[in-house]
This record gives sequence, C-alpha cells and structure tokens, in this order.
Amino acid sequence: MSQFLLVLVSGVASGAVYGLIGLGLVIIYRATDVVNFAMASLATLGLYVAVSLRDQGVATVLGIVAAVTITVVAGLLVRETVIRPLGQGQLFSALVVTMGVSLVVENVASSIWGDEPKSFPNLVNGTVSWSGAALPVQSLVTIAVAAVAMAVVGYLFARTTLGSAMRAVAENADTARVVGLEPQRLARIAWALGLGLAALAACLYAPRSGLVPTALVAPLFRAFAGIFLGGLTSMYGAVVGGLTVGVLDNLAANYASASLRDTFVFSFTVLVLLIRPQGIFGTRTFQRV
Amino acid sequence: MFRTMRKFRRAAGTTAVLAVVALTANACADQDSAGAGGNSSEIHIGAWLPLTGATASYGVPQRAGADAYFKMINASGGINDRKVRWTVKDNAADPQQTVQIARELVGQDKVVAIVNANGTSQAEAAFPFVLNQSKVPVLNEVGGNESWFKPPRPGLFGTQTLYEDQAAAIAAWTVQDGAKKILVVHSDPAAFVNVAKQVEPVAKKVDPSVEVDRLTVKYQTTDYTPVISKVKAAKTQAVILILTSPEAAAFLKEAKLQGLSLPTYAYAPVAAESTVSLAKDAAEGLKAVQLVKAPSDTDPAVKEFRTAMAKYEPGQPAGFLALWGWSNAKVFAEITKTIKGPVTADAIDKAYEKATKVETGVSPVMSFSPSNHLGTRSVQRVVVKDGVWTSEGDFYTPPKRG
Repeated sequence: MSQFLLVLVSGVASGAVYGLIGLGLVIIYRATDVVNFAMASLATLGLYVAVSLRDQGVATVLGIVAAVTITVVAGLLVRETVIRPLGQGQLFSALVVTMGVSLVVENVASSIWGDEPKSFPNLVNGTVSWSGAALPVQSLVTIAVAAVAMAVVGYLFARTTLGSAMRAVAENADTARVVGLEPQRLARIAWALGLGLAALAACLYAPRSGLVPTALVAPLFRAFAGIFLGGLTSMYGAVVGGLTVGVLDNLAANYASASLRDTFVFSFTVLVLLIRPQGIFGTRTFQRV
Repeated sequence: MFRTMRKFRRAAGTTAVLAVVALTANACADQDSAGAGGNSSEIHIGAWLPLTGATASYGVPQRAGADAYFKMINASGGINDRKVRWTVKDNAADPQQTVQIARELVGQDKVVAIVNANGTSQAEAAFPFVLNQSKVPVLNEVGGNESWFKPPRPGLFGTQTLYEDQAAAIAAWTVQDGAKKILVVHSDPAAFVNVAKQVEPVAKKVDPSVEVDRLTVKYQTTDYTPVISKVKAAKTQAVILILTSPEAAAFLKEAKLQGLSLPTYAYAPVAAESTVSLAKDAAEGLKAVQLVKAPSDTDPAVKEFRTAMAKYEPGQPAGFLALWGWSNAKVFAEITKTIKGPVTADAIDKAYEKATKVETGVSPVMSFSPSNHLGTRSVQRVVVKDGVWTSEGDFYTPPKRG
C-alpha cells in the first residue's frame, strides 16, 4: 500500500508539472495559433538566471520570481521579433520558427553556463509519513503550487473580463476586434501567461532533474502527450492529460516494466486518439473539403 | 597563322598532359603521405570531440586536458624535438558529422592518427574510412567496447578500462567490504544492462555465498521516490549504481531524504564532479571506480596536471574528464617518443604493439602487444570525502570475468 501511495503521489507530482506546461501550451495555441516548441528552452533560460542569482546569495523564492520574469520577457521578445511578423494562421511556419528558437536558446544557455549539470534547490526539504510511506514534501508542494496556479488560471478565464476577452479572441480574432478588443495585446498577455506557467513548472521540476540546457525536453514531450490526450484546445484537457500521463508513467514503470514506461503511456494515448481524435476534452471541428 | 595556332594547341595540349600528370602524381603523393602527419618538425594528429550539444560536458573538458598536456610538452620541445599539432573538430556527438570530420582530418589536414577522440558510435561510423580505407590509426578514444579489441584490429588501440571490467572491480570491492546481499540498480538500455550483468559472476567468484539482485530503472528517470522504496523493501546490504551521473545524484538525494543509508558503489561515469555538485552532501561516502587518480590527489603526476591546467587552460576546471584527456595525450606522447625516424601511421602502429609498461602517473600502467590492443583492465578506487573525490589505495585489477 505504501509503495502504491508513493508511486501515486510522485506520479501526480510529475503530472502536475506536465499539466502546467501543457496548460501554457494550450493558452498560447488558442490565443495565437502557435504551438510553442521554444517554451521549454525559454523556461530553461529563466532557470539558469535563477541558479546564477542563487549562487550570488539571492533567496530561492526571489530566484523563481526572476526565472518567471526572464522567461516571460524572453518569450515576448521572441513573439514580437520572429513570430508576429509571420502573420496570422501560419501554423507550420510558426512551429518551425519556435523549434529553431528552441535550438538557438539551448546553444546560448550552453555557451553562457556550460553543459555541466547544475543543481537547483528544493523549495522545501523533508518527508511526511503517511500510511507507512515517506512522502517527499517537495512532491506535495509541487502538487499544491500547480493546483493553485491552475485554479488561478481557471478563475481568470471563467470569471474575469480579461479572461472573457481572451476567450473571445481565441474564438474569432476579427469579430473580437469589431467589438473593440485588441487581439495583439491579448495575444501578448496569453504568451506571458503561458510562458509564466512553463517557468513555474520548470522551477518545480528542476530540483529533481538538475539543470542542463536540455533539461526540460523530456517534460515538454510528455506535456505534448498530455495535451493531445486531453484535447489540444482544452485547458482542462491539458491538465487532466498531463496528470494522466504522469500517473500512468509511474504506474507502468513500477508495476509493469521500467523499459515499457513510454510504450505504455503512448500506446494509451494512441488508443484514446483512435477513439476520440479530438482528445478527451477537445472539440471536434469540421472543415469544408 | 595556322602553324602558330597548331603550336599553341600543341603547347596547350602538352601543358594539359603535364598538368594531369602533375596532379595525378600529387594525388598519389597525397595518398602516400596520408600517414605522414605534417613535416619533420611536427606531428600532426586530429580528433573529433563533442564540443557542442548534449555531450559537450564530456568533450570540452577532455579537450582542455589534452590541450594542456600538448601545450606543456610543446613548450619543452615536443616529442623528440617535434611539436605536436592536435587538430580538434566538433562533431556534436553526431556519427554522420564524425564521418565528414574524419574525411577532413585524413584527406585535407593529413593527420597521422586520430588521437583522444570521443564517442563509441561516432568512432564506429568513421572506422570504415579511417581504419580500413585510409589505414590511419585511431588511438586512445574515450568510449569503445569489448568488440573493438577482441580480436585486435590493426590501428585501433585503447586506454580505457571496459565498463564490464569496471563492474567486475566494483563487484569485488563490494564483496571485499563484507556485503552478502547486493542490489544492482541500473538503467534499462542494453548498454547498462550488459554492464550490470557482469556484477553477479564476479561477486560469486569472490564469495560464492553472495546474493545479487538487479533493479531496472527507466533511463533518465528523475523521480527516484518509488525506486528507493523498492530498495528499502529488498533489504539489501549494499547498492551498486550503473546509472548516469544525474540519475545517480537523484538516487542519492532521494535515499538521503527517505533515510536509506547503505554502502553505495558505482562505476566510472558516476565518479564525476557533477554527481557531487548535484547530490551535495547526499554523495558523501559514495564509492566508485575511475580510470584515473582523483584530480585532488597530492601525487606529483596529478600536481603536474593541475599546474598545467592552471597555466594553459585557466578557464577549465581540473576535473576527472580533463584528466582523462591529459592521460590519453600522455600515453600517445610516451609511445610516440619510442619511434626512431619518421612518425608515420605504420610506425605508430608498431610502436603501440611494442609498448609495455607505459606510465603516465595518473592512470594505470598501460601494456600493449600484437594480441592485446587494450592497454589496461585496472581502475582507481575513489570515495567522496568532505565533498571531494579522493583516491583510495593504488590501481586495482579486478578478477577475470567469465
């Protein structure tokens, strides 16, 4: 029982990270039709700044704030300089551009900070005993922080004017402009929000993995699995998909075979997509031939 | 007018024929001199290293260590009054790029040998062109496996104790320390599984009553909470880690967090500075085997390395990987010193086959022969003490496997 509890909690903690990254991806995709592959490397850039600040004696929490700020600023810079000039609806061009940006940012991080792994501090140390299992407090904090961030995003989109405006722009930018909304401003806010969530996820993930320029490639990969599982256009889907991937991943590794971990998760994802191509919470769209 | 034209044509034709002959002769000369490696005042060698990309953390320090050594000996006259020119090209750990680099090094730069390069699959991609077609030796590569040396291949010589022998050394050490029940925690790719499988036979050879189990972990796992729980449940007396450095650090951190305190041993990839910097105090007491002495040793040969690093590569830490590069460069220099006359590929090949008791002071004594192209099976035992890897005893040769 204690082993199952450990596996479950650590799976939910991993899933929370994937869910946050996935949520960031969906917010940006819905607002600007851009699948942002550069999100993970931009968040890594923020993490390196946080580590540099910590090395200068700055408190970890301030380092995390700096990481989020740097990621958001760098992301907005990328959007304004290389994504926005592409124009609306350039899904594949934007995809390739973000992939390119991702590689450039990884190389920049590598040349500034080197490729030697660096440690990133836990927010909290210690364990909590529950049903005979020693649960790491860091995992519980990860789950809690991710839950609060997701709740805030949910409230923003469901209950605030800004959220309604962002949803309106996501539905139809031209119509939104007619009613006086500013799509570009809202797109910038969506990018900032999405990148901020990714940076937060990165800060929760890095204490376990250590920090190298490609540290967030694996969670980004799983976040994508999560959003396709949950539905590319659904924010709930991104969260549920991420959590599902995290938990299945851990269950498979512990009760089936470590080697079959990815096979299990991605077979499940493929199976779901065969039955519901739009994902669990995605909306089915029809297009004229 | 026509006669003049005919003369011109004849002259042009003769010139063209001469040019072709000259070019052909030159091309033949190029082929002949492919192993010449520079002029009589220098020895030109080359290497491919991952200076960018995912494994640059290996290539950059390895280059710094070797560079420091070559700069040091060049400053004191070189090898038998010949300066060493070591041309390094970045392959970003990509086998295809390595083949291209091999063609440049051999075809254009005319290196006499590939020395101190990095990467198993990368080297294997280049072997058909470098070893088989061009007959240029590949020496002291970081990487490799048993099949490279059994049977020995012309021009291919190694200085790195095989991972399988490292596992044998750890197994013997663990049993000698008194463990009767050992758990080997290893990543799931075949390269790790194969190494992990070497532990049990050697452990049983040292003490037939020893029990050895294996626990497979998914490669690049970062969450070791459930793994530690399984290790606890196994009620083992010692753990052997066949993992990468970040994975081992994650294991150690989680073990400390969950109050698991067991003698823990690891193979050379874990005996890295990164394991200590990532795991911090959770790495204290970790035992591992290494290919070289600890860079913190007070030994004169290691001091020489640290001094040269500070002088010639001040931006690079004098760590294990730099010491690997240094050691490989020194083995090459020590063997090349024995060559009387031109330093050709053939001469290097013969010098390596005759080289016995090659001492660098920082790595095990290397001995080669026509039937043995791998210089050593020995390792250095190292332990983390006060946050620093420290050598324990002298070089150790594990019991034979199988």
